[in-house]
Amino acid sequence: MIQIKIYGLGGQGVVTAAKVLCEAVAIHEDAHAQAIPAYGHERRGAPVYADAVISRDPIKMKGFVYAPDYVVLFDDSVIDKGIDVMAGTSEQTVFIVNTQKLKDKYPFKSNKIYRVDAQAVALKSLGRDIPNTAMLGALAGAGIVGIEAVKAAITSKFGDSAPKNVEAAEEARRLIRADEKAEPNKDIDTNTKNHAAFVK
Amino acid sequence: MKKVMLEGNFAAAEAMRLARIGVVSAYPITPQSPIAEVLSEYTGDGRLDAKYIRVESEHTAMSVAIGAQLTGVRTGTATSSVGLALMFEMLGVAAGLRLPIVMPVVNRALVSPWSLWCDHQDSMAARDTGWMQLYAEDCQDVLDLCLIAYRAAENGDVLVPTMVCMDGFFLSHMSQAVYVPSQQDVDDFLPPYQAKNLKLDIADPMFVNNLIPPTEFMEMRYQQHTGFSNALPVLNTAMKEFETQFGRSHSPIEPYCCDDAEAILISLGSMSGSVKEMVDQYRAQGKKVGNLKIVSFRPFPEEDLVAAIPRGARVGVLDRSMSMGAPAGPVCNDVRSAISNQGLNVRIQGFVVGLGGRDVRPVAITSAFDRLLAGQYDKDVQWLDMSDNAMTLRQYREAI
Repeated sequence: MIQIKIYGLGGQGVVTAAKVLCEAVAIHEDAHAQAIPAYGHERRGAPVYADAVISRDPIKMKGFVYAPDYVVLFDDSVIDKGIDVMAGTSEQTVFIVNTQKLKDKYPFKSNKIYRVDAQAVALKSLGRDIPNTAMLGALAGAGIVGIEAVKAAITSKFGDSAPKNVEAAEEARRLIRADEKAEPNKDIDTNTKNHAAFVK
Repeated sequence: MKKVMLEGNFAAAEAMRLARIGVVSAYPITPQSPIAEVLSEYTGDGRLDAKYIRVESEHTAMSVAIGAQLTGVRTGTATSSVGLALMFEMLGVAAGLRLPIVMPVVNRALVSPWSLWCDHQDSMAARDTGWMQLYAEDCQDVLDLCLIAYRAAENGDVLVPTMVCMDGFFLSHMSQAVYVPSQQDVDDFLPPYQAKNLKLDIADPMFVNNLIPPTEFMEMRYQQHTGFSNALPVLNTAMKEFETQFGRSHSPIEPYCCDDAEAILISLGSMSGSVKEMVDQYRAQGKKVGNLKIVSFRPFPEEDLVAAIPRGARVGVLDRSMSMGAPAGPVCNDVRSAISNQGLNVRIQGFVVGLGGRDVRPVAITSAFDRLLAGQYDKDVQWLDMSDNAMTLRQYREAI
């Protein structure tokens, strides 16, 4: 079972991303997944989060995620806005961040970090700064889910705008890096059964 | 049967569509609104051949559903929280007219203070209105229990309206893969609706719901009571027939690892899944704990529930609402009553958890299990996972 917490800002598609990830895993990889959005007094630009759990086995737990295996930041400004992105994390927690470069303010510098400039990818592919589908590609690049499943889920969810969003996902998967110096990994395994949810 | 991602609200709407409801009268309220919205879409684009009647309140939503169902058609409505409270008068009318309306209730706290989020106070407040109440653990349950509810409620020996309760947001807005059966399979399971008690007919007019003198009222109420007495075996049969048709098993109560359990937590709804997860973790440490999930709260499956508790086991009940002024929450009070009625002498620890959208976190469940395993018992109901400032929070003057 893999527990994921996605932080971002209202309007970035955080809740949609959690749902699409779960559709990719539960429908297109025939495993199990559930997306648990935290609805509140939302407004555009305010910090929001969504939880997702994916697993090879049926998922019993029906609450929020308290000990994330992955923390995904759609916008690192949530740190400045007082969101404790370290809540419930351990040394093993992996961070996936939408950023051009790692910043001193990150409280997770000793954790494994993936980064991708999903903002640039989204602006290029979609013409809008909505990073959610690029970040879904990044999740595939980090080995959480297969890119083919992500593309299928985006295709079923986004209708006419699906091709551009698929392009964003593919581009972000290609560009994601595990650290500052690494080159983009072009040889990521796309075989479903090797993804994190299936081997843990 | 196809597997699709659905949130609980949409799973309920799919079940209502597949049951071929002919009239919809729903008033939107958080977190039920997506049901009202998607049924509107279905009637608009022809996926559902139904008349959508816009209403100005939940009281009218239920009134319209009653009037429509009296003409011999399945009707659809759904609500939450204060919407259910505003329906209260008409809930009794539907029950008294023996109209087997099936209504998803998306559980949300009642005022006051205001809360948009989940607890069971709304449906528990309506537990004596003469409706069956089934509680779903996940989104598949929502769809399945709705279909089962039509089949059981419409049985001529039952004729009792039914609430299918799902936890607001935790289920209503949770995305899960749900198996959606084909229309043909559902048609085989649910034949076209036939009015079995009263039917409004302009060729044969009659009074319904009129004033009843004391010489008849008790007998009419006893008929309802008898409908409920019949409901449990009918519900059991409907669940078995559902399994034959669709391959998924359901039961009015579902024990999980109870056979050899030394401590059992009884629960309703989505928190049961979280309790089972903790049962797995305790069992991995060699601690014998179990979960007993009540699916059917009304009718209350007293005998099966008591039979599922092994001798010597310590038992606690997680209530997601409180019966203020009573010894414990409503589920605990009923469990104690059942234990006593079955001739057993077992102390049942009452717990209150997860009010107003508070998650029933692992820490709440472990503290309940640990108390039971340690043999601690307190006759007072225990409120779990509370902040230390409970008595000073938002107090504007010092307590006298």
